[in-house]
Order: sequence, then C-alpha cells, then structure tokens
Amino acid sequence: SFQSSDFLFKFLVIGNAGTGKSCLLHQFIEKKFKDDSNHTIGVEFGSKIVNVGGKYVKLQIWDTAGQERFRSVTRSYYRGAAGALLVYDITSRETYNALTNWLTDARMLASQNIVIILCGNKKDLDADREVTFLEASRFAQENELMFLETSALTGENVEEAFVQCARKILNKIESGELDPERMGSGIQYGDAALRQLRSPRRAQAQSAQECGC
Amino acid sequence: EDEEKTGRPHRPLSPKQNVRKNLDFEPLSTTALILEDRPANLPAKPAEEAQKHRQQYEEMVVQAKKRELKEAQKRKKQLEERCKLEDSIGNAVLTWNNEILPNWETMCCSRKVRELWWQGIPPSVRGKVWSLAIGNELNITHELYDICLARAKEKWRSLSMGGAEVEGEDAGFSAADREASLELIKLDISRTFPSLCIFQQGGPYHDTLHSILGAYTCYRPDVGYVQGMSFIAAVLILNLDTADAFIAFSNLLNKPCQMAFFRVDHGLMLTYFAAFEVFFEENLPKLFAHFKKNNVTPDIYLIDWIFTLYSKSLPLDLACRVWDVFCRDGEEFLFRTALGILKLFEDVLTKMDFIHIAQFLTKLPEDLPSEEFFTSIAAIQMQSRNKKWAQVKRMLIFDNK
Repeated sequence: SFQSSDFLFKFLVIGNAGTGKSCLLHQFIEKKFKDDSNHTIGVEFGSKIVNVGGKYVKLQIWDTAGQERFRSVTRSYYRGAAGALLVYDITSRETYNALTNWLTDARMLASQNIVIILCGNKKDLDADREVTFLEASRFAQENELMFLETSALTGENVEEAFVQCARKILNKIESGELDPERMGSGIQYGDAALRQLRSPRRAQAQSAQECGC
Repeated sequence: EDEEKTGRPHRPLSPKQNVRKNLDFEPLSTTALILEDRPANLPAKPAEEAQKHRQQYEEMVVQAKKRELKEAQKRKKQLEERCKLEDSIGNAVLTWNNEILPNWETMCCSRKVRELWWQGIPPSVRGKVWSLAIGNELNITHELYDICLARAKEKWRSLSMGGAEVEGEDAGFSAADREASLELIKLDISRTFPSLCIFQQGGPYHDTLHSILGAYTCYRPDVGYVQGMSFIAAVLILNLDTADAFIAFSNLLNKPCQMAFFRVDHGLMLTYFAAFEVFFEENLPKLFAHFKKNNVTPDIYLIDWIFTLYSKSLPLDLACRVWDVFCRDGEEFLFRTALGILKLFEDVLTKMDFIHIAQFLTKLPEDLPSEEFFTSIAAIQMQSRNKKWAQVKRMLIFDNK
C-alpha cells in the first residue's frame, strides 16, 4: 500500500552473530517471529513507514552479517546511516563484551550524529540470562545510547526500539542539531515533504510518477 | 424466491432423476439445488420456471463437463511430460554411467557432453560428476580427513572441559577465537536449510555437517570457519559420502574466487565485482544505468550469491543445476548466473527504487520458473569487446597493482 513519507532514514542493525538481528527486523516488519531463519551473509534489507508524532518516516533498514570475518564488508555499509540498532543477546556475555568494538565502528564510520539504541535481545529467555538489565543500562548511559531489552520472539519492545530511535532523530532535526541537507546525514526528505517544496503543478506530475514505489 | 432457495426437498422428484440418468456426471450439490421442487406446503413451480431451471441446470452441467475434460487433458499432458522427462533422465543416467564417466578425461570436454551437462546432471550421478569436475588438486585422502576430524574432536573435547591451549600450527589464533568459531559452527548448522529439517540437532545429517566443518577448520586454520560454508558443505553432503564431500569441499574452497571471498579479501572481491560490472554493462546496459543511478552496487546481492553458491537464495533443485554448470565452466558461471537473474527480472527491476531492488535481490521469489531461468542465463554473453571473463579479470587485477 502506498503511503507517502516526510522523511527517509537509513538504519543499521549491527551486533554479533546469532543475537537475533534478522529476527528483530522480521518481527518489526511482519509482526511475527521467524523460527526457520537463515544466517545473513553480507546484508539483507527491510523497509517500513512508521508514524512518529504525526510525521511519517520511511525506515530503510540494512541488516548486516554478524560474523567478525565479514566486518570489512559490513563496515562499508555504515556510511550515511542516521540510526542503528546495536544488538546483543542477554543470554550471552560474549555478545555483550563485543559491544565496544561495534560502537567504535559505528561512531567512526556512520554519520557523526548517528543515533544508536542498544537492544538486549532474547528477553524471553530470562532463565538463561548472563547480562543484567542494570549493567547494560549503565553501559548505555556511559556511551550515550538509548537502551531497551527486546524479544524478537514475543515482539516485546521491538517496534518501540525502531520508533524510539526514529523519534530521537526527528527531535534532533527539529532542534536543529541535525541538518538533513548535510551530506551523509542518512536523512532524506520523503516524497510528501518534497511535494510541499515544489510548485503545485510539478507536484502533481511528481506524485503520479512516484505512485507504486 | 427466498423459500425456494432455503427450502429443502421432502420427496425425491423425477426431473432431477431424469437428468441424472442422462449424465454420467454427478453435479455438485449446490448446482443441483436449482432443480429441487418447492416444499409440499408451498405452491408448485410454474412449468415455465421449472423448464427454465432445467435448462440452466443443463448448461451448468455442460460447463462443468467441459472444465473437467480440460483438466483431465491438462493432467494427461503433465503426466506425459513427466514420463518424457523421466525417460530422458533415465537415458541420461545411462549415458553418464556407461559412456562418459568411464572415459572422463577424453569425453568431459566434448561438445556432446557439454550439452548434456547443461541440461542438468541426473541426481544419481551428480556427486560423481561434481567430484571429477572439481578434482583433487590438494591430494586429500580419506585418511587425511579422518586425521583432521580426530583433531577437531579432540579440540571440541578440550574446549568443553575448560579449554587447555592446544598447540599446533594455529597457535596464532587465541583460544577465544577458536571457541567462538566452534560455537558459530554449532549455531549456523541449526540455521542451514532449516526447512529441510535434516541438518538440525537430531536430524540425520547434523553430525556429518558438523564433522566436515570442524575437520576443515583443522585442515585450514588460516581460513577457519566462515559463514556461508555450511550451505556449501550441506549441498555436497546431499550428493556425496562424507569423506568425498570433504575432499570436494576443500578443493572447491581452494579455487581462486572462493579463496578470495572466504578469506574476505576485500580488495580482490572488489576486483571480481568490477569484472562483473563490465559484463553487466555489456549485457544489460539499461538496467546497469538504472542500478548506477540508484546506487545499487553489486556487493549488495553478489556476496550472498557467491558465498553460498546460490544454495541459499535459489530453490535447491535450481541451485544444484547452477552447481552443475559451475563445475563445468568455473567461476565465470557464477557471475553469468547473476546476470541471468538480473535479465530475467529486468522489467520489474527497472521500475524499482534502491530499497525495493535491494530487498528483491536479497530475497528472490520462491517460484522461479526453471526453464525461463536457464534460458535467461544462456542469453548472457560472457564476452566483452572480444575479451573473456578471465582476461577482463586479469586486466583489472593488474590495474589494481
């Protein structure tokens, strides 16, 4: 179904292998858990339009491979990302310990103002927990990250993670902290916003062209 | 009118029976309802209306019979085609077994064999042909496989007991790295062809897949386990015995293109992508321009295709046919296949923007028409200004130095 949007944000999903990155994306888009999922080789994609405080934002999501070996490939996808979900698995301390490396990469290679939300995934497996909410939340504060514990299985906090990240970016645009027109901001005006900027006659032609995209 | 529709017949009546006698065809109950008489407590149907209903009923029956006949003809045609296909597979098996395989060295490059090869190798000889075509440059023996497997098992045991350092040529890799890689193998096996349910924990080939990947990390600690390998090993396991699958696996990964990718040699990978783009522009200039305009770079879709040799992105039977010709033609066929896919979907892709192209190519439709697919690949010319794939690649590698 066609829905025009005010903005387009490029989002990344990053984190170690097996933390549930693709499942989070699938749950966000399809509203169900993918229980026969493959591992991602390289990168996969998703897109969805979300309503954030009355504005329609189209998220263009890059879901990257988690294995360390692919880092040199996935690094090239960071450029121009406006937001990122940094994912670890609450039942695996190893995936939590790797966060610093992921964070360094994201801050260095994506846009400087990239908004990152830390997601402690597999919240439904509380019995096997190896990372407490408290320590992760402290890590998030120290590194200026937003933080949620999510479950791709039940869907808990999945939509929230994407939407909160998008909201923070919108706030930054409104406060002037982020300039969508700056190169590499990871933000583009959506078709709705572009229509307002153009003269009415051209706008009509444009909307006819864009329908069905 | 209303009563007529809902009213149920109280006694069997002649018009319906008459019609039934004339037809050897049992109509669906709902279509027959129209013929029922009204219940006894209501006035009977006027003759005119009854006549009209009979006519309508007969028309319906004629239509239904026509449909049935058509379907029967379709089924018959399908059956004939299947028989023909099975015959030709049967003949092909004989040709492969009796003529080609015994004379492999002299026959493998003949025109006739190459043509038969393109049609797809019959599953019963597929493994043998793959093994012969991939070869065994590395001279791996079954004994060597057993040794590598034994070492892998030793490592798993020592790691599970708390991880004493294992000495050897892989001493440069930390215990943590090795453990991570072993953990990842376990994780990925459960995520390899999950819908087949044969490689997962408890499935018949779970241990085989685990063994081959483990043995490989001992055979080539410098390469180790890289995601994508589990798909390649799985496809080989489906067609070969374990030790032969290991031999084919190791030799296949040792080919220049596979080594470049599995070592994630980014520079060399970019050279492959650049060579691919030369043939992309040559074969599909319009789509090439559209991709350029939308910043769709080849790595976005090629990485998954090349790392798994299409086994993750294509239906398994099609992937095996791609493997068949890949074994015949080498790496260039992987890139030709990619161009075949782009050509097959050129019209829809030209209408899409970046995100839709990226989504489409990283998740291809599940119902790819196999004949059209191979026709599309066949139409791709791997020649650019008189230069073949290998020459273009060599030139680009030279340029980068």
